[in-house]
Formats: sequence, C-alpha cells, structure tokens
Amino acid sequence: MFIETFKNLTLSFRELRGSFNEFKIVVASIFLGVFIITAVGSISENLKSEIKNKRAEMLGGNFELSTTYQEFPNNIKSWLEKNGKTTHLIELRTMLSYNSQSILKRRIVELKAVDNNYPLVGKVLTSPYQKVKLSLGTKNNEKKIFIDKSLKGQLGIDVGDFVYLGKSKFKISGIIEKEPDRMFSFATFGPRVLLSKDALKETGLIKAGSLIKYKTKFIPNNENKINLAFLNHLVKGTNVSVRSIENNTNNFNNFVDRTSIFISLVGLITLLISGVGISNGVRGYIIKKTKNIAIMKSLGAKNLKILIIYLNQIFMIFLLSITPAIMLGVSIPYVFSPIISQELFNTFEPSIFLEPILISFLYGLTTSILFTILPLLNTYKIKPIELIRNSSENSLNETTFKIKSIIFILISILCFLTMNLINDKKLSFYILISMTVSFVLIYGLTNLKFFILSKIKFKSGTTFEYIRKAITKSNSFARSIVISFSIGLSLLISLNIIESSLDKRITAAINKQAPSHFLIDIQPEQIEKIKYIALSILGDNNFNSQPMLRGRITDINNQSVQSLKVDKEVEWVLKRDRAFSWSNEKPKNTKLISGEWWSENYDGPLLVSIGNKIAKGLNLKIGDKIKFNILGRNFEAQIFNTREIIWENMDINFIFILSNSNIENAPHSWIATTKNIGQNLNNSFVEKIISEFANISSISIEESYKSIKSILNLLIIIINSIALITLFSGTIVLAGIIDVGKKDKLYEAAILKILGATPKRVAYLWFKEYFIIGLISSFISLIIGFLVSYVLLNYIFNIEIFFDFKMIFVLSLLVPFLITIFSLLKMLNLLLSKPLVVLREYF
Amino acid sequence: MIFKMKNENKKKLIELENIHVDLKSSFETINVLKGINLKIFKNESVGIIGESGAGKSTLIMCIAGLELISKGKILFNKLPIHNLKEDDLALYRSKNIGIIFQSFNLLPSMTALENVNLPIEISGNFKNNTMAIELLTAVGLKNRIFHYPHQLSGGEQQRVAIARSLISNPEILIADEPTGNLDKKNSEDVIKLLFKLKKDFGSTLILVTHDTSVAKLCDRIIKIDNGLIVK
Repeated sequence: MFIETFKNLTLSFRELRGSFNEFKIVVASIFLGVFIITAVGSISENLKSEIKNKRAEMLGGNFELSTTYQEFPNNIKSWLEKNGKTTHLIELRTMLSYNSQSILKRRIVELKAVDNNYPLVGKVLTSPYQKVKLSLGTKNNEKKIFIDKSLKGQLGIDVGDFVYLGKSKFKISGIIEKEPDRMFSFATFGPRVLLSKDALKETGLIKAGSLIKYKTKFIPNNENKINLAFLNHLVKGTNVSVRSIENNTNNFNNFVDRTSIFISLVGLITLLISGVGISNGVRGYIIKKTKNIAIMKSLGAKNLKILIIYLNQIFMIFLLSITPAIMLGVSIPYVFSPIISQELFNTFEPSIFLEPILISFLYGLTTSILFTILPLLNTYKIKPIELIRNSSENSLNETTFKIKSIIFILISILCFLTMNLINDKKLSFYILISMTVSFVLIYGLTNLKFFILSKIKFKSGTTFEYIRKAITKSNSFARSIVISFSIGLSLLISLNIIESSLDKRITAAINKQAPSHFLIDIQPEQIEKIKYIALSILGDNNFNSQPMLRGRITDINNQSVQSLKVDKEVEWVLKRDRAFSWSNEKPKNTKLISGEWWSENYDGPLLVSIGNKIAKGLNLKIGDKIKFNILGRNFEAQIFNTREIIWENMDINFIFILSNSNIENAPHSWIATTKNIGQNLNNSFVEKIISEFANISSISIEESYKSIKSILNLLIIIINSIALITLFSGTIVLAGIIDVGKKDKLYEAAILKILGATPKRVAYLWFKEYFIIGLISSFISLIIGFLVSYVLLNYIFNIEIFFDFKMIFVLSLLVPFLITIFSLLKMLNLLLSKPLVVLREYF
Repeated sequence: MIFKMKNENKKKLIELENIHVDLKSSFETINVLKGINLKIFKNESVGIIGESGAGKSTLIMCIAGLELISKGKILFNKLPIHNLKEDDLALYRSKNIGIIFQSFNLLPSMTALENVNLPIEISGNFKNNTMAIELLTAVGLKNRIFHYPHQLSGGEQQRVAIARSLISNPEILIADEPTGNLDKKNSEDVIKLLFKLKKDFGSTLILVTHDTSVAKLCDRIIKIDNGLIVK
C-alpha cells in the first residue's frame, strides 16, 4: 500500500492542481492546533533546559543549608567554610517605614542580609549599576540598602531617599533589577530589601523567637565526595535542612510541566474541534470532486486507488499546514526570549527541541487522518454511472469493521500521545475520560435535540417550519456547527460559573469571617501590653493571639518521615519547617472531629491536636506518635484529637497545637489577628502597635486578598482567552461549512427570489436559521457547562455553586450572534446574486 | 438471413441475455431495461438508436460494467461480468473498455496529455508519453498537448476523450452520444475520426446516437424503445 501510495503521488498532485483553495479551512484548522502544541512544547522544553543549566545560580550555590530561629551550629559552619566556598545570609520579614512630608508610610518587606561573599553564583543587577559588596557597607555613617522595583512604586520612594528598618535609618542605594538566587517574587509576602549582615545587626530586629531564617549557600571543593546524602548525614540531629540543585528546581519544573500540560490540552481540544473543520472541509471537497472520481472509476480506477489518491492529497495539505505551524511554534521561544530573560533568567538563549515537533506532528497527523477517513470513505459510494445520472445522496452511513478498526487504532494513538504528553497516568486517565464523556454528552445532546426537532412540526408554510426543515434535512451541516461551537462555549460557561462561585466564597469569607490584620513577630514580653492596647481600642473579644514556633516533623510512630508513604496532597507538611502553637485551653471556634481537648491544667507527657484532613493524608489516628525537631531538640507528642481547619476563614490556623510544656520556655514569638470592626478602629490600632513596637509587622488581609485576586484574575483571563481560541476554531469550522454549502444556499436564494422574496427577506430567513442553530448550541453548552462546573465545585473545590446569571445570559447569546453575523457576512455575496444567472451557471 | 450467417462466422465478444435494469427511488421503481438479448461480435460497429429515456445509455453502461443489472447475464469473451465485484469490474474496464462520453468528462486540472495518460496511470502501466503523444497527433492535437480542457474547444476536448479511450488499446470502444454537445462541423470530424481509429486499432465500437445518419455508418443498427430492442 505504501509503494502504491508513493506511485500515486504524481497523480494525486495533478488531480489536486487548482483545488488548493478548497482546503483553506482544513489548512487553518490543522495549523491552529499544531501551532499551539508546538509553541507550548517548545517554550516548556526551553524553560526546563534553561533551569537545568542555571540551577546552581537559582539556588545560589550547589547546596543551600538553612535553619529557622537559630544560627548554624558552629561546628557545621566551620566545616562548610573549610570544605568549600560559602556565603551566609539572614532572611526575615519586617516593616519598612518612609517619612514622606510628615506622613509615615509603612510596608512589610522581606529583608535579605548578605555577607561579602554574596553571591557565590551569578550577579545582582541593580539600577544604577553598582557592585553590591561595596555599596552595602556603611559609608559616611550612611547605611545603604537596595530595594525591589515594586517597593519603589508602592511607597513612592527612589534612589537617594532615606527609610527606616527597625531602629536604623538607611539610604536607598539602588533598585534591584535581578537577584540571582530568587527567580519568582509572587510567592513572597513583600518586596525584597537587600542589606549587609552588619547593618541588620544594628537594626535591633534580630530577637530570640523572631521568625528568622539563616541560610548558607555552599559550593564544595570536592564535588564528587560531598553530595546531598553526605550533607544530610553531616547535619543529622540538628535543625539544619539541606537543599541541593536537584530538589530545588523540582517545584518550578512541576509548575512548567503542569502549565504546559494545561495549554497543550487546549491545543489538543483545538485540534479536535479543528477535526470537525477538517472533516467538513474534506466532506465538501469530496462532494465537489464527485465527477472527477466518477470519471476515474469509469476509466478503471479501483476504490482503494481513489482513496489513496485523495489520502495523498490530504497528506500534502497536512504538510502544507504543519510546516508553517511548526516553524512558527518553534520560533515562539525566540519571540518571547526578551520577556523570559527579563522575568525569569538573566540571559535566555532559546533552542529548537525535536520532541515537541515530533509530538505535534504526530498529533496533527493522527487527528487529520482520524477526521479525514470517514469523509474520504464517501469516495467508495460514488458510482461512475453518476456521470450520466445525478446521484441523490452523497452520504456514507455504513462503517465497515476494517474502518472501525482503523478509527480505533487512531484513537488509541491519540490516547497514547496524550498520556505521553501528560506523563501522569492517573491524570491522563481522568483527562481522557472527561474529554470522552464531554464529547459523548455534546454529541448525544446534539443528536437528541435534532431528533426532537425532526419530530416536532410547525404549521405548514410558516417560517419556523421552513427553518426546522432546513436544519433537520439529512445533508444539513447544522449538527457540525452546533458540536464545534458547543465545545468552546461549554468551557467558557463552566469557567464563568467556577469563577463566580470562587469569587463569592472568597468575598463572603473576607466580609464576614476574615480578620482585618495579622500581626507577626510579637515578642513574648510584648504580648500582654498589646492585649491591653487591643482591649482599649478594639474592645473585648476582637483580638486573637497565639504563641508560635517552627519546627520539623522527623518521625511518625518511630519511622523516619523520609521512608513514609503519604498522600501527595499532604507531602508538603513533611517537607519543610511548620509552625506550631501550644495551648491547654481549647482555641475559640475549634470544632473537634475526633477525640477531646486535654484538661486546662494538663501537665503530663506532650499531646498534640492535628488538622483532620492532614491526619487522614498522613494515615494518622488518635494515639499515634509524632516526633518534632524544634530548635535542634526532639520532642515526641501523642495525637489526642483531630479538628477541622477552615483555611478560607483566613484566621490563625495551626496544623499542630501542642499541650503546654517546657516548650513555652523556648525562644518564640506570638502571632495575632484583629477582628474586622471598622477600618478606622482597625487602622488606628495597627498604627499604634507598629509605631510603638518596631519589630512587629502587620499584614492587611484586604491587601493580601487583592493580590491573590489579581493573580486569580490573571489566571482567569488566560484560561478565558484559551477558551476563546476554541470558539475561534469553531468559527473556522463554520466558515468551512458555509463554503461547502454555498451551492445549496445559492440555489435556495435563487428559487426564493424567483418566487418573489427580496434579498432582505432571504437574509432575514437565514438570520433566523443560523440564530436558531446558535441557540441550540447555547442550550447544549449551558447543560454541559452546568454539569462540569457542578462536578468540579462539588467534588474538587467543595464550594457551593453560584450563578452570575447576567454573565451566563451574555455568554449564551454570544454564540448565536457570532454564528449569525459571521454567516451572514460570509453569505452576503450570495444574497446579492442574480437568480437566473445562478440557475443557468450552476444547475 | 445473409447478415445472420455473416455474424455466425464471427467471434462473439459480448453476449447479453435477458438483461433487466430497475432503478429504485424512494417513490417508485423504474424498469429501464426489460429483457434485452444481444450479441456483439469482435471488430464490428453497432449503432444504438432510440428516443430519450428509451434505455440506450443504460444498455451500454451495462456493457461497460458501470451499471449494475437487476436480472440476466452479461458475458464478455464467454466470461460472465454481471456478477463481478466493483473492483473486478474496474479491472475489466481498465483492460477492455474505452469510453467516450457526450460531455467529454476530462479532468479539468490535467493537461490534454495527462488526461490521455490517465487510464494507464490508473492501471499502473504508465511508462512514458510516447503513445499518448502519438494518439494526440492522430486526433490532430499535436500542438495542444499541454493545454488544459478549459483552453480547448468542445470538438478538441472530445478528440482528447477519444485519444484517452484508445490509450489502453481496448477491445471495445463505447461512445455515448459523442457528438451530442458539438456543432455539425465538429460532429462530422469527430465521427470520421472515431471510425478511422476504430479501424486502425481493430476495436469493436458500440455507439449510442440520436443521429440516424451517424448510426448508418455502423455495421449494425439496434433500435431500443421503452427498455426493449424493437429492431
């Protein structure tokens, strides 16, 4: 068959000559899907390769060793200095103040105090350009800092201005353009401020119990001998944790993977919608080629020969479509390289990767053949006798076993490619099942709707009856229009319902339950005074405070956490330091799920209360034992109860609350929240606290909400834009369908005009016809959109469904108008055609 | 009687026995051919005449294997072709039949030369253009070989169709009203050419026509009326 195929290439090309124009919709359909998959794959591969190349720079060395609260044990510090290059850093959050014309402006910032060796890898880029080592020192009694770009805008400060950190005054020496060991800024609480370690000591911000991170970046002299396992062994028994370049970039790699999976899936959906376009395009093309096929058959061509001739043509068209799609796709990393350089890496040199090209090629080829094979089989039905007698129908309704097998194989290839693209069996299974269910639902509902329409009869001679007949006739393309638009619109409607439900939930939480401010890093000796101030300004019961310490879980039931198998969703609990609190008094609004709270005067062995979902994920039950490492010391606690944690209330939520013990004598800090009782009262309280206690930082929930909302909005805009792409591919399908049905519509217009209809009347009829097709699509999309969002909100987000009816109404009308206006514009020349000329020329 | 004796000495090429063709539509069944019995001999020319709708074209399409019969037998060189499958019929046409249609039926995207070569390309026997050029020269289109159908007149297109029908050197030439779309001058030229080439190639010619004067050029005339041979 393959030799046959090759031998027939010339014949296929000759037959295709002059017909390229017929394929413009097919070309556009294949192009769009292949382009998205190639572009996303290329960007993803480039980013991953860049991360691999720059992972040492991103971590700031080959290893990062860190502790919380306490400096490194001296023996480890000196061992590191002896065995490699080191730089020691301190990180903490605090308030930065700026006095602007007697108005004090404050902002929480993330301080990073560095020594003279910083950075070990890469460069800090500042504006104006300076060498960080020299500039951070004290000159003319002026202490200097570098600030993040965003802080400049937030406080209206610039290079040369003076600001306060703790009890020290600093001059802004420059703006940080690039910090080598910090790739993203959206995961932090505040903008970065860079200063020297010596200057930090003078601010008075380093207090026992304050949440301070001590970090050492390390490049060993002997890279072969000193690896992650070696260092983990070295720090065993201490509270030092070690990260290497391998595990540092995992999160970002996962992020890139997940994002590219999502966008690639959109590419795949686009390609599948395009498949409807390809199918219609080929179907129309074969109808137009009926005579040629009949001629070739009359000259002795077998069915297989004809199939090969046209399959070859589709392959030529496929190559013609994917070549620019792949070229454009692989050039996307080059186009975006300035942005990627600016936002992610100091320098970014894109390359061309073979894998995304291969995957998109195979996706495109499989989809093209899958959606081409059925319309191409119509060639089997064309009889040479049609040269002397008109055939009544050009449809093929029977699908042979052989063809069913080919279709099954092609679908299997698509599934295999999707699994390869996603690289997560469980996730790909869910995605394939969801796509199949959605497609079957759309297909089933469309057929049901058309079946009902074929059974209902309006009064003979009425416009509705005319339209009903037009859209339900056997060779009508109305079903294809409905299916291709319903996929995109269902996606848009689902997203809208999910967005409005999430928004409502967050807004409700903010308005009713969430506190107004968080106060962090309160020293134990300050808490009583602050409680007193709170009582005087906010009144009773409007201030909540709890002690806090950070530590790590090392063992569960005497088994090291490294060897434990736990749910992926709760792995994060074991990975880093976690915050603990302690209380013998049951915290307010606590809802116990199992067990009971210990007595207020409990003084026995250490007990712990744990969040119920976390306990479930870690396979923990009452009576189990958890070992914590807090400030280098090990504590073992027995689980006494589990309780519900409602993260959405944005209040103080600790996963672990311990019973009172000698742990409270360890250096620690307090965290507090103020109830939302009016902006003025809240603000005056917070202002008083942070002006009186320089070490305390405040976080406004409203501002945090705004920044979360802005990230959420950005995500929603991106997802909606992608959903709009699917609607665009629906429009391409519609354009193809109109092209294919052009002759029928010309005939229809000619007959109607001969019978006395004006072009306006014909346009009005067509307007109604296409508007009704659009409404059917909207109706089906509403059902699917509602079902999908209900399942997601109910079973994944656990959020009550909420409808923004105004928006849903607008979206529902979007498709009918889009279909109608686009169709009428495309058929404008048909409306103005001269009926007799049409009948003479075409029929 | 003399004619009958003459034919009995010739080799039987086609034999039609009690051929019926019923065309079914959703409303009715039309009996186009109602029991045709006919023998066609090697190298003879047969003219088929009759009113429009009488079944002339259907009859020759049955011989070409393009129309399926409802009842009866068709033998070609004593071998049955009425029960052949679609692909075998295609092979039968490819080897034995050359067809000339009233509306030429050339592929518009191919040049005259490519159109003439089409049957041998389809059968996979294409070697070079020599034979096609010879045929186009024979039909008087030596200077038009690279022209596309839309660049040729009706008469020229029909000549290309004649050349195409002969490229496989078929035993039977079937012409379905070949002059139906041509003016008088072109009609005369095409018919003259057809009979000349029939003679040169030694083919059997079955010609459907409305024109009695053209039919008279054939060795035998068959008249069909209402699906039956009446004369």
